[in-house]
Amino acid sequence: MERKKTYIEDIDRGIYDIKNDFTYRYKTDKGLTEDIIMEISREKNEPEWMRDFRLKSLEIYNNKPIPTWGADLSGLDIDNIITYIRPDTDMKHSWDDVPEDIKITFELLGIPQAERESLAGVGAQYDSEVVYHNIKQELIDQGIIYTDMETALKEYEDVVKEYFMKLIPPNDHKFAALHGAVWSGGSFVYVPEGVQVDIPLQSYFRLNAPGAGQFEHTLIIVEKGAKLHFIEGCSAPMYRVNNLHAGCVELFVKENATLRYSTIENWSKNMYNLNTKRAVVDKNGTIEWISGSFGSKVSMLYPMSILRGEGARSEFTGITFAAEGQHLDTGTKVVHAAPHTTSTVNSKSISKDGGYAFYRGLLRVAENAYGCKSTVSCESLMLDNISKSDTLPIIELNNDNIDIGHEAKIGRISDEAIFYLMSRGISEEEAKAMIVRGFVEPITKELPLEYAVELNNLINIELEGTIG
Amino acid sequence: MLWKRIGLKDFEFPKIHDYKKDYIKIEGKFPKEVKINRISESENKYFDIEFSGVGDKFTSFAKKYYNAGIQLRLPRNTKIVEPVKLEFHMDENNPTLVDKNLIIAEEGSEVNIIMDYYSNEKIETLHNGLTVIYAKENATVNIIKIQRLGDSSQSFDSNIAYVEGNGKVNWISVELGSYISGSNYRTYLDGEASGSNLSSIYLGDGIRKMDLEYTMIHKGPRSISNIETKGVLKDNSKKVFRGNLDFKRGSRHSKGVEEEYVILLDPTVKSDSIPALLCDEDDVEGEHAASAGQIDENKLFYLMSRGLDERESKKLVVEASFRPIIDRIPYKYLQEIIFDEIERRLIDA
Amino acid sequence: MEKYLLNINDLKVTIEDKEILKGLNLQIKEGETHVIMGPNGSGKSTLAYTLMGHPSYEITQGGIQFDGEIINEMKADERARKGIFLSFQYPEEIPGITVEEFLRTSKTSITGEMQKIIPFRRLLKTKMEHLGMDESYASRYLNLGFSGGEKKKNEILQMSILEPKLAILDETDSGLDVDAIKIVAESVMKIKDEKCSILVITHYNKLLEYLEPDYVHILMDGKIVKTGGVELVNQIDEIGYENIKAEFSNI
Repeated sequence: MERKKTYIEDIDRGIYDIKNDFTYRYKTDKGLTEDIIMEISREKNEPEWMRDFRLKSLEIYNNKPIPTWGADLSGLDIDNIITYIRPDTDMKHSWDDVPEDIKITFELLGIPQAERESLAGVGAQYDSEVVYHNIKQELIDQGIIYTDMETALKEYEDVVKEYFMKLIPPNDHKFAALHGAVWSGGSFVYVPEGVQVDIPLQSYFRLNAPGAGQFEHTLIIVEKGAKLHFIEGCSAPMYRVNNLHAGCVELFVKENATLRYSTIENWSKNMYNLNTKRAVVDKNGTIEWISGSFGSKVSMLYPMSILRGEGARSEFTGITFAAEGQHLDTGTKVVHAAPHTTSTVNSKSISKDGGYAFYRGLLRVAENAYGCKSTVSCESLMLDNISKSDTLPIIELNNDNIDIGHEAKIGRISDEAIFYLMSRGISEEEAKAMIVRGFVEPITKELPLEYAVELNNLINIELEGTIG
Repeated sequence: MLWKRIGLKDFEFPKIHDYKKDYIKIEGKFPKEVKINRISESENKYFDIEFSGVGDKFTSFAKKYYNAGIQLRLPRNTKIVEPVKLEFHMDENNPTLVDKNLIIAEEGSEVNIIMDYYSNEKIETLHNGLTVIYAKENATVNIIKIQRLGDSSQSFDSNIAYVEGNGKVNWISVELGSYISGSNYRTYLDGEASGSNLSSIYLGDGIRKMDLEYTMIHKGPRSISNIETKGVLKDNSKKVFRGNLDFKRGSRHSKGVEEEYVILLDPTVKSDSIPALLCDEDDVEGEHAASAGQIDENKLFYLMSRGLDERESKKLVVEASFRPIIDRIPYKYLQEIIFDEIERRLIDA
Repeated sequence: MEKYLLNINDLKVTIEDKEILKGLNLQIKEGETHVIMGPNGSGKSTLAYTLMGHPSYEITQGGIQFDGEIINEMKADERARKGIFLSFQYPEEIPGITVEEFLRTSKTSITGEMQKIIPFRRLLKTKMEHLGMDESYASRYLNLGFSGGEKKKNEILQMSILEPKLAILDETDSGLDVDAIKIVAESVMKIKDEKCSILVITHYNKLLEYLEPDYVHILMDGKIVKTGGVELVNQIDEIGYENIKAEFSNI
């Protein structure tokens, strides 16, 4: 089947900065109290166990301290983040039915276009609620479930109960507890045994209201021998007030299954991005993380793979781009908890204009994980002299029958490389952009074409003004 | 140094006895302008520095309650080839050693220092040391530290050097003894084109626990550093390696390389590595590499096919891995001591 | 007055506070082939880099006139567009960009005309065939993992695609085996035929067996001390640079 290429033309930051007027059907008061939690649960018509779960999480949240390591979270005033916002629409299945202004926003971001051309299904979330969800009929026929979390909670209650926040429990850390209390929206995907989904499924989250929080929960279960590629995109317009993103992504990869999870996070620069993503992989299963972090003011993002089945595998490819005013603390964690497991990490970061990119990694090999292998490679590029880039990997090995290699490099674009390109008629600015694109190429080549195009465009936006 | 990783929580210092043995051994004649004396209170101002070393508790203890150590000052342009040897051979009558050492190498001078810490395995001994080195412009200080205390000993060693323009401080650290060993080496490359090399080998066996921290701080432009660490772990030993390459703003055209390789001989060992790379200056080159694994099966097979038994073969491979670093110790007798110790721990155990 | 393509007058060049070129004079006309030979450290690569506009080299005196314009202040990419090409002695490796993408971008920039993918690919393939380069190189990352000889061939490939007015070959023959030199020489001869001027910087004379230089210059201690024809090459071979230098210290 020939895939037509979709170009998202003309993406410039301007598109991301479109703000729609603030009309909402329902909005909780700011801050967090038991009453608010009950309100949220009621509005959603949730089963009792979920309501209790939320209340329990709130209790944990109130008792946990804010982490003192990592980025500075003092600018985040959680009490003032509006927790729950329902846009003025019910969820639609046909794009035509979605209200005009919301539709325009997503259209400009290229979402419906992309869906028509190359995706199997799309979910679009606007503030706290999913406004659009669609999945190709042929997938439904194969037994694949792709729906929003709220619907999943009602229609597949048992499955959700079995998996929900088992991988990232509320007492894991403060923001997991917060999430447990106020989560809203997000995708639920279930791929039955042996089903191979050839075309990617996509979710897109958009935060429109100022001072709001996004707490979507993504739960994906890929059964034995199945295969899925899931793409998640996130953005929010620029406001002066801070927004918070504390979502959770839980991925269950069963025996011999493969899941590829691609994310481009392009939050605006007033966003605190404290997302928690975790995958658990069973025997001979594979998880592939493809991750691009561009926006947000502060990010603390450490996708984690737990390799608990023999022969399980994790591959992580990521790029972090920290520009002015950004502190991006990102990295990955891999735990080898079974024999003959393998992992690779290929992480690149770029910092400029005073941006701060911090790679924090953990590689742990448990006592019983013999015969495992891991290679980690981190490269940091600093584009000027006022930025900062640090790498802090922690390697904990508790078995001898292993093969572990780790390397990291820091540097700048070499003058010699720029001169070489310029001697071939390429301008200085273009030469730098070429080198940076070459630097991120391992990531762009893993993304579906339209995302690769978007990524390159984002790099061009970010690089503007980097001469000198 | 975070003790949580090697589990030494409420450490209390035992009573410190006087250290009565002689330890300063100098062969040949030194020029009389070179001053080597036992450390005294007169040099306290050089120890008035912010440096935690293996832990504030340990460095402040050493500053105050030392019972041994030297102060060595080399005048300008004085180069000494014969090494200054400090042989700290502890015994039942001298079971506690708190050495505080000061080395000042004035412009253009050069010195080689050997510090050898030894005790019999049956005796419980404690060693806590603090060494401060100032290498002025164009001065070179080469310092070799061998820690081969007995299995019932504990050893803590904090080292710091300040290097000025074109100066060099080269460290060689050999960690072979004690059941708990914490060491910390920190070098400030302050001056332009200052340099430092740190080569280290360690061997963990039995229940030994080690926490090794090596830090190179690049401040001056065109400064160069190199950290190379090779180790082997067996039985239930555990080690934490912390390597820190820190490029401060202004250290343009500097280069720092950090490498750590460890051979793991038993499934019961624990190896933690935290090779950090911090960068606040864009025009530098920083790289680090860490790797861990077993002895290559093919190598083992090849050696055994030539008649060597498994233990002998493993020992050979470990020695081959350590050799490039041991070769940097230009004193045959020390090389022999090290090879003997490796043999004892890998074969006789 | 004769029209020169390249006219260098009394050029003094410094790098990192050290003066390397101490008053160099050189004139090259359209279509001519000049060779510069000299011992290590005489300033040959400095000349090549200065002509291409490397920012670390500072012109403290004198001027470089190319095609009627003084180019002292021009940046490297501008000079490339004017028609100067440098085949580097140690070409840079640029991961993430393929040879094909790079060359297409470069040609577009130099000609000012958008190079279309299919026709360009055909052109590239043809040129690669002439140079005995395997097709697969086109999709490899620029110089990444190439052997010394492969890198040099890649430089000549670029030259044949970009069609400069002046090609400066900096030690192009070093690292190439006998067959490769022959192939490279053929490519150089081809652009020579198209009225391209060539400036060969070398200290071997292998490449010169194929080219027919119009002038041979000896560069020593930052200046051109002797100019002649091909017979100079043999002279150097026989008596060596030291003796040639001695000739001059007596004057």
